[in-house]
Amino acid sequence: MYELVIIGGGPAAVAAGVYAGRKRIKTALITESFGGQSIVSNEIYNWIGTKAISGLSLAQNLEAHVRDHGAEIIDGEIVTAIAKIDGGPPTGHFLITTKSGKTVETKTIFMATGSRRKRLGIPGEDRLDGRGVVFCSTCDAPLFKGKDIAIVGAGNAALEAAVDSIPYANKIYMLVRGSEMRGDAVTQEKIKSHPKVTILFNTVSQEVLGEKSVTGLRTIEKTTNKATDLAVQGVFVEIGSRPNSDPAKELVSLNQIGEIVVDHKTQASSCSGIWAAGDVSDVLYKQNNISAGDAVKAVLNVYDFLHRNHLFAANK
Amino acid sequence: MNNIIIYSTPTCVYCKMAKEYFKTKGVEFTEHNVAEDDAAREDMLKKSGQMGVPVIDINGTIIVGFNKPEVEAALR
Ligand SMILES: Cc1cc2nc3c(=O)[nH]c(=O)nc-3n(C[C@H](O)[C@H](O)[C@H](O)COP(=O)(O)OP(=O)(O)OC[C@H]3O[C@@H](n4cnc5c(N)ncnc54)[C@H](O)[C@@H]3O)c2cc1C
Repeated sequence: MYELVIIGGGPAAVAAGVYAGRKRIKTALITESFGGQSIVSNEIYNWIGTKAISGLSLAQNLEAHVRDHGAEIIDGEIVTAIAKIDGGPPTGHFLITTKSGKTVETKTIFMATGSRRKRLGIPGEDRLDGRGVVFCSTCDAPLFKGKDIAIVGAGNAALEAAVDSIPYANKIYMLVRGSEMRGDAVTQEKIKSHPKVTILFNTVSQEVLGEKSVTGLRTIEKTTNKATDLAVQGVFVEIGSRPNSDPAKELVSLNQIGEIVVDHKTQASSCSGIWAAGDVSDVLYKQNNISAGDAVKAVLNVYDFLHRNHLFAANK
Repeated sequence: MNNIIIYSTPTCVYCKMAKEYFKTKGVEFTEHNVAEDDAAREDMLKKSGQMGVPVIDINGTIIVGFNKPEVEAALR
């Protein structure tokens, strides 16, 4: 039986693992992979204490740091379910199950599962994934040299995708669901005035077209309800992300968009014995440093909880 | 000897991970930057049908993305 199980491998999980190790809490960290979402960034300029670092190097540093601090690491595993045993803590505990069927028992849980990319959920998207449908613009923009593409989305990620694509693509359509773009104003100006870019407001995507690879995107202009097929060879999906709160959704309160609601002083969720921080929580700003800092708050509060309820073994 | 070809772009992290993996294993590979090399991009498309990197060709086995278990299985 563990005193704490950390679920995740991004900055929140790693910060928690380091602090839990130093507090001598008997800890396991279960994650699919290490590094977190910014792993695909070429350069991160705001990881405090480091002028610039690639997403990949940050991921490697995070993994090395947590491996050095005594938490047992169970990687390559996806947590699928969490159940209360004997009413859950402080009297009972939790049973965690992974996709491969592994089970782990623990007195407390820290959810640091972050978020993942939203998909469009329209016909053709899955079938043509990797055949013109793109989920990593930074990676794949150069493959669309001389081609026409559509970017779906209106936030920073969509703007970044446009910036990544301008040097390569021939023509870029940007599909904006509402009547204005969101995201960084300076980048917006740069993109709006670029001759390759056409912005289509009040427009949603309806179907990705093509047999073996993408040949078009069916769109609907919402004010007129008019359908138009754009002849494009690439569809870049940049419509934001969705919190990975599913394994805990039966136990904790979630807000409308599925984030775990926490007490921002302690990071405790509505369920006794479960804490959350980082992008899976209802924190207002989603950033690496905030995820790490909030995770530290959570572990310090876990430590108090274990002591207060006489659940802590290290000093016995 | 393994015959390994990686089709990559300079901005793709999973390509870097794959390359580092081969380096630590001490296996040699040929890299084609498909952002620049049009012929290699066509080759990649023909082999895999993919418009996404990395595509890894290990002794004729085509692996899409850096899928470690698949890569390990394909290596001699
Ligand atoms: C392209 C991009 C660039 C960014 N650039 C910056 C930047 O420059 N500066 C900055 O501060 N922030 C940046 N961010 C935001 C930052 O990456 C996030 O705020 C941060 O990663 C959140 O950390 P986290 O630990 O909460 O979760 P995540 O980073 O999302 O990590 C979640 C981890 O949990 C694992 N996981 C998820 N579900 C399960 C499960 N069920 N079982 C097991 N493991 C699971 C995942 O494998 C992953 O390792 C960027 C984000 C993106 C997408």
